Amino acid sequence: MRISTVTMFESSLSSMNRQQSAFLDVGQQLATGRRVVNPSDDPQAASRAVSVSQSMAVSQQYADARVTARNALSQEESVLNSVGDAISSAKTLMVQAGNGTLSDADRSAIASELRGIYESLLGQANTTNGNGDYLFGGVKDNASPFVKQDGKVVYQGADSVRAQQVDSSRRMPVGDSGLEVFSGVHAGSDYVAEATTAADSTLTFTGPSVRDASADGFGESYTLTFTDSTTFSITDRLGNEVLNDTYTAGEPIEFKGMSITLEGEPKQDDVIEMAKGQDQSVFATLENALAALEAPADTSAKRADLSNTLSSVSRQLDNSLDNVLTVRASVGARLNELDVLDTVGGNRTLNYESTLSELVDLDYASAISDYTLRQVGLQASQKTFVDMRGMSLFEML
Amino acid sequence: MSLFSTGLSGLSAAQVALQTTSTNISNVYTPGYNRQITQLGETSPSGGGVQVNDIERQFNQYIASQLNEATSRSSALQAYDTQVSQLDNLLADGEAGLAPLMQNFFSSLEDLSGAPSDPAARQGLIGSADTLTAQFRAFDSYLDDMQSGINGQIRDEVTQINNTTDQLAKLNRQISLTQAKTGDIPNNLLNQRDHLVADLSERMDVKLSIQDGGTYNLTMANGQPLVAGNRSYSLEAVASSSDPTRTVVAYNDPGGSQIELGESTFEGGTLGGLMTFRSETLDKTQSQVGQMALALAEGFNEQHRAGQDLNGAQGQDFFAIGSPSVFSNEKNASDASFSAEFSDFSAVTTSDYRIKYESGDFVVSRAGSKQPLDPQPAVETDADGNKTLSFDGMTLTLDESAGAIAEGDTFLIQPTKNLAGQLENVIHDTSKIAASAHVKVTPSLQTGSTLAASSVKVEEGFALPASDIVMTVSNADNAAGTFTLSHDAPTGSEVLVNGEVPADPANVQLSTGDTLSINGVSMTFSGKPIDGDTLTLSSDPSSGDNRNALALQNLQHGGLVEGKASLSEAYASLVSDVGNRTNVVQANLSAQSVLTEQLTAVQQSESGVNLDEEAANLIRFQQFYQANAKVIQTGSTLLDTILGIR
Repeated sequence: MRISTVTMFESSLSSMNRQQSAFLDVGQQLATGRRVVNPSDDPQAASRAVSVSQSMAVSQQYADARVTARNALSQEESVLNSVGDAISSAKTLMVQAGNGTLSDADRSAIASELRGIYESLLGQANTTNGNGDYLFGGVKDNASPFVKQDGKVVYQGADSVRAQQVDSSRRMPVGDSGLEVFSGVHAGSDYVAEATTAADSTLTFTGPSVRDASADGFGESYTLTFTDSTTFSITDRLGNEVLNDTYTAGEPIEFKGMSITLEGEPKQDDVIEMAKGQDQSVFATLENALAALEAPADTSAKRADLSNTLSSVSRQLDNSLDNVLTVRASVGARLNELDVLDTVGGNRTLNYESTLSELVDLDYASAISDYTLRQVGLQASQKTFVDMRGMSLFEML
Repeated sequence: MSLFSTGLSGLSAAQVALQTTSTNISNVYTPGYNRQITQLGETSPSGGGVQVNDIERQFNQYIASQLNEATSRSSALQAYDTQVSQLDNLLADGEAGLAPLMQNFFSSLEDLSGAPSDPAARQGLIGSADTLTAQFRAFDSYLDDMQSGINGQIRDEVTQINNTTDQLAKLNRQISLTQAKTGDIPNNLLNQRDHLVADLSERMDVKLSIQDGGTYNLTMANGQPLVAGNRSYSLEAVASSSDPTRTVVAYNDPGGSQIELGESTFEGGTLGGLMTFRSETLDKTQSQVGQMALALAEGFNEQHRAGQDLNGAQGQDFFAIGSPSVFSNEKNASDASFSAEFSDFSAVTTSDYRIKYESGDFVVSRAGSKQPLDPQPAVETDADGNKTLSFDGMTLTLDESAGAIAEGDTFLIQPTKNLAGQLENVIHDTSKIAASAHVKVTPSLQTGSTLAASSVKVEEGFALPASDIVMTVSNADNAAGTFTLSHDAPTGSEVLVNGEVPADPANVQLSTGDTLSINGVSMTFSGKPIDGDTLTLSSDPSSGDNRNALALQNLQHGGLVEGKASLSEAYASLVSDVGNRTNVVQANLSAQSVLTEQLTAVQQSESGVNLDEEAANLIRFQQFYQANAKVIQTGSTLLDTILGIR
């Protein structure tokens, strides 16, 4: 075929251009470290990379949420630890105060110590986090959840708590409401008895204690009423009589799988109420104890009242402590779960990263060999061009 | 014939041949030049001498037409590639594109749900929303710039085309005049004319037909003449009658009227490339970005309105977004117009629509495929007596206040094309972010009742009660643990007991431990109720609640776009669309370039100058000249010999 001079130049020029642009492409890949620089380099990989990086971003969001959740739960755990300690000390004081040889002055000293514990508990219950949000206010975290009204502490927070999305299918509560921590009892709590006696009655109780938890009717609330000073009847919540018997001091009364021991001289209409699992604010419990300890116990009837109150308070404190420990255990479980989710999430992120890298990152080994190849190609086409320049018949004339 | 005249004819032939060769050499790099060959012949009638029969232009019309067609296709692809590469580069930036900004936005929602009352977290959300919306607007304005760039380029191309056709018509005339005057074919004019045709082919696709006598007639792909003999017909870049923002090409026909040409008229040449890119890729990309903006704005607003802000008020719209654009065709006989609103953002598609009023009916079709919708939307009448059409997530209302609609009126609807540029976040007050969705149940119990509603919470797809809902207990049967709860939730509320629809939703039969849910607000009952107990369910704004923030955050997984794709999936499909198209165009371009190069080589092998060949010719014709001079010398010597005989 006849070749025109223009064709000779142009075809070698265009092949040089082609080589150059291929060379630059590989150069750009090497410089950026990416195989897919523009979406057009590999549209499928580029669009999948968008999805994978979205998944990575979401996974990072969960990781961030876990950090927030861990902070909140760790702080709660440490507060709960102090709360548990405070309730334990209050219990010790109750045991001390139960000592019959104490004078009113001794009891008042115990009362002032107990008041200190009471106030510090109130402080714990109104703890704020770094943002000034109340830890135990539930979702109403912008005002003190526990407020003193007429000398009594009432709860004004919310009973629901904030949850955080800590994993794709796990929304974890990142706290516990004040109601649950300070007023709740756990399902297996003990029976608490409370006595309401006549002013001159010296009736005291011990217990109630569990005889047979599987007995029919165990767990219900019961009311023991003295019909006169020697006989009593026990009724259930709906007023049905369960037991009617003559009173013998010191002899355990057994019914519905439990027993209670009464002592002293009862009067007609003395009432002992026994209930299980009733929510009771730890503050109300301590307020009762304080009122009892601060009142003088100069008669045997008043001493009996004191003893009854202390018995009830001890049981209630036991229940409250159990409850705080339960909540603490659940906080601990959540913290553990966060650790597990962190490991899982970390693995997942690693997977995403390697997928993303496979999709768009450069295989340096093959790119460098490609680079060298293109370089040789470009140099060859340049050499051809230079050589061709000198090949003209005019040069020979 | 004497040696002298024979030699002389040889000398002058050699001179012409040398002249032709030097013309070839001097024009070796002249674009459009076709090499010439001196055709020699014997003198007639009395032979012996040589004469120049013709200076023949080496031009093959068949190959030239093929090459023009190939160039036309190449330059269309070239123009397309130049444009689409810009989009490709725009999407290449993985760090600053829309995808990472959407991720930032949702992760600032995560921060908000971690500390819903924290002003810093709230400000962070507003900040990332500002950045995101600004990026949407910037993206759209870049695309708008490309649109107006294309408008400008079309105008330039049309000017160039008009110049070229004008020159072609003049050349046609000049060539026939010269031919008539001298009888010679003016090779340089022919070269110019063929070169202009090649030039024109680069700009648009034209058909060449050669009339008797060698006049060139050029027509467009649709058959309308551009050049006929010594007349040319001009094109004009005008604003489209259906969309004034769009420059299209109109044809000034011989009758003096102007016809708007459809974009599909142009396939080849730069003009065709630009038009195809615009209708095939740019419009679609802009609509897709607009659709994403719409889905983000409306989806987010809907959820945001379901929550409560820090002041306890119901959430307001978070983003502002425009409405569909409607253009009345400027050739419409009436001044009737349509206004459009979105009715269901998740049904809105990226396609444009055309409405035509035909024999008392509205025919709605997709603008791209021109396929009428099936079924056609029913014409309804709204409260003000205006006709409305509802389809694909939009409601269009006909406004005939300026004149009743006339037969043949058309309207163009662009649902999402201009939306991304209008996306804006309208909440700048941190307290107006509705992060919480909290309800409470207030009991009012008869003495002795232990009824309690616990685990009160809002679930996915909740709606907070607009006004308090009062629930009253009756038929309490403590032995069986059952009771009836009557409530005054608005009719149509979704009421579920343990996840199932009860027999009588307004008076539900419940047992202790059952979970009742009203519009996604659920509660579990415990204790022993007494007839007459009431529970009041009311909205209870709480600063520390994050349930709506979580619901908002969850929108990143939801099928917001056309009800099926998440925002990031929609973006991924945008990336893959543009990437694929760029890829295909680049592949086609490189294939077409090779083809064009080959055809150029074929054309050049026929018409191009080869310097080696010309160098050889130079030597040859020099020798030819010298030989003829020798003949004259010989003749002279012979004569001298004769004269010398004394």
